[in-house]
Amino acid sequence: MTQQNIEQFTKAVGNANEINELLRRYGVKFGIYKNGVFNEQFFPFDPIPRVIASEDFKSIEKGLVQRVNALNEFLFDIYHEKNIVRDGIIPENFIYISKGYLAQCEGITPPNRIYSHISGIDLVQAKDGEWYILEDNLRIPSGASYPLIARELTRIAAPEAFSENEIVDNRNYAQLLKETMEYTNCGGIRAILTPGRYNAAYFEHSYLAEHTGSVLVQNDELFVEDNILYHRTYSGGKTRIGVLYRRIADEYLDPLNFLPESLIGIPNLMEVYRSGNVGIINAPGNGVADDKGIYYFVPKMIKYYLGEDPILKNAPTYLPFYEEDMKYVMDNLEKLVIKDVAEAGGYGVVFGRELTKEKLEEFRRTIIAEPRRFIAQEVIDFLDLPILDNGETVMRKADLRAFVLSGETTRVWASGLTRFSRNPDSFVVNSSQGGGFKDTWVLK
Amino acid sequence: MTTISKEHSDRLYWLGRYTERAFTTLRTIQKLYDKMLDKSKGYADYLKCFGLYDSYGSNEAFINSFLYDGSNANSVAYSLERAYDNGIVLREEISTHSLSFLQLAKDSLAKSELSKNTRLSLLPLEDQLYAFWGCLNEYIYNDEIRNIIYIGKTIERLDLYIRMAYPFDTTQKEYIRLMKNLERAPKGTPYRYNTANYSELVKIMENEDGYKQNSEKVIGCLEHLFEPLEVTV
Ligand SMILES: Nc1ncnc2c1ncn2[C@@H]1O[C@H](COP(=O)(O)OP(=O)(O)OP(=O)(O)O)[C@@H](O)[C@H]1O
Ligand SMILES: [Mg+2]
Repeated sequence: MTQQNIEQFTKAVGNANEINELLRRYGVKFGIYKNGVFNEQFFPFDPIPRVIASEDFKSIEKGLVQRVNALNEFLFDIYHEKNIVRDGIIPENFIYISKGYLAQCEGITPPNRIYSHISGIDLVQAKDGEWYILEDNLRIPSGASYPLIARELTRIAAPEAFSENEIVDNRNYAQLLKETMEYTNCGGIRAILTPGRYNAAYFEHSYLAEHTGSVLVQNDELFVEDNILYHRTYSGGKTRIGVLYRRIADEYLDPLNFLPESLIGIPNLMEVYRSGNVGIINAPGNGVADDKGIYYFVPKMIKYYLGEDPILKNAPTYLPFYEEDMKYVMDNLEKLVIKDVAEAGGYGVVFGRELTKEKLEEFRRTIIAEPRRFIAQEVIDFLDLPILDNGETVMRKADLRAFVLSGETTRVWASGLTRFSRNPDSFVVNSSQGGGFKDTWVLK
Repeated sequence: MTTISKEHSDRLYWLGRYTERAFTTLRTIQKLYDKMLDKSKGYADYLKCFGLYDSYGSNEAFINSFLYDGSNANSVAYSLERAYDNGIVLREEISTHSLSFLQLAKDSLAKSELSKNTRLSLLPLEDQLYAFWGCLNEYIYNDEIRNIIYIGKTIERLDLYIRMAYPFDTTQKEYIRLMKNLERAPKGTPYRYNTANYSELVKIMENEDGYKQNSEKVIGCLEHLFEPLEVTV
């Protein structure tokens, strides 16, 4: 698809109004807290798609499957023998001080040995066409429902775009997810656990429940009895749950095993899981693998577990933990991007070039004091994509979250969530920071 | 793959009640609007039915409040908002499609407030509520789920009709509907309670005299037929 095609398409859509009108009608919202007040916003959608050529996608696909397979091997290893530490590939200390490492998961083998069933891998494409992995999200990556429903609605608002172009249908996501859930099912119904209506991704929870034919549940509807997880019915009965796609974080999952003050968890869930009586998607403890510090080691993991060369590149990354890297970071701080490994959602991402001299010095001291808390990366000058802004086309930074589903095989969803910054001077695309989204077209 | 929790069954019930409340209020206000063309304070009897104090003073103020004022618990705006609140947590049971009609109805009401011709601007809203009910029939395959919504809907309608002193034969039709809905609820579910209130309701609604003399009691019986808790989030 050429730029001209894209412009033609844009004309066909006219402006973003029709589709945004439809998105509104179907309640495509996300929640956001500002100054402690909950607000539901419609997620701004831009009708000009990101287009990925078939060949390009094939290589991304291979790279992602390879990466996720290695990450799953890593998780199994970390919660069992820890060979990768013993063999000196990753310093021990990086594992145990990671907030995502959960001692409670030691020795647990999830159904079929799969830890990350749904992986959301963030990529950017540099100006020379090369793709870089920015981050792996292996806990509860969200966002697939947005391009999913957007595609459905764009096909209504701009049918010609689809009859005139050869675009891979992405509306199979719910089917892929359902198969993934079933593969992990330990006998019982499928359920999606949500913290409730006031969660930022509530739309997604309920939409995926509807389209996978799962029951959407909150913790107070569930209980554990004789080491089985049940849904309590309104007539006093119980229905066994075989697989739980939980959309709450590990530490809130089970107050008896993790944070005792959690009000959204299910007491004893971990025992049921440990006994192999329920599948949990994604497995608890995955945070150790998508830690921003561990990210540095993923290319090494691919070599170590699969004996292959990584197909997709990491952004050049430095760990101030290593002396040599610390020196580089200190000498180049103003041109690097620094990330706090404990943060997510675009918080804790700082571009050196945006800091004043004083702030830069202050930051320097913080890094020296807590070297393990930060990673530094070269700023990747990634592609701008065209965005419609009041009828005019403007260029904005955009990344791509690809979704990889691991069940009987590892599959990449032929689409993804393209997020863009609405601010012309910003690289940060997160929806919580005011970003919007686009559909992602993979060409046949 | 259905299993209905207490939380969801309560929501389903209140979804039925609030959507019906929005709908019947909307239709009543349209009738009142017609009456007001010939009469100042044409809404006085309506307020009396609900034991409400007249703080409106003019037809226009009344209409504005009962259609658009979300802080008036008897307004269409309020009921629609509550219906949507319940609907949004039932997406996988009632479908995205059904839910979209509540969103559209809310949007139509907001548009109507800005419109010059109130009656005309309310037509799409009425259509959307009909479409909502059609959609529920179309997309809900589980009779148990649909029935709970209908029980809520019918109880609400009966309650409003009785308060507005509708004639016996109209009210009785709705009562018969309710009885059929209740019989459809599977044994062992909360909607099959054979309580004292139920027996009393059956006795009173047997004939017109009973209805005329005991309408207050009927309202009480309906309220306590079973007691699904209203969930506030
Ligand atoms: N090396 C880099 N070069 C250029 N831009 C970057 C780089 N790293 C991050 N960014 C920008 O900052 C955004 C957030 O970065 P990152 O994904 O690492 O943080 P996050 O807090 O984990 O966000 P989330 O979990 O929501 O994806 C990216 O989407 C990208 O737009
Ligand atoms: Mg990210």
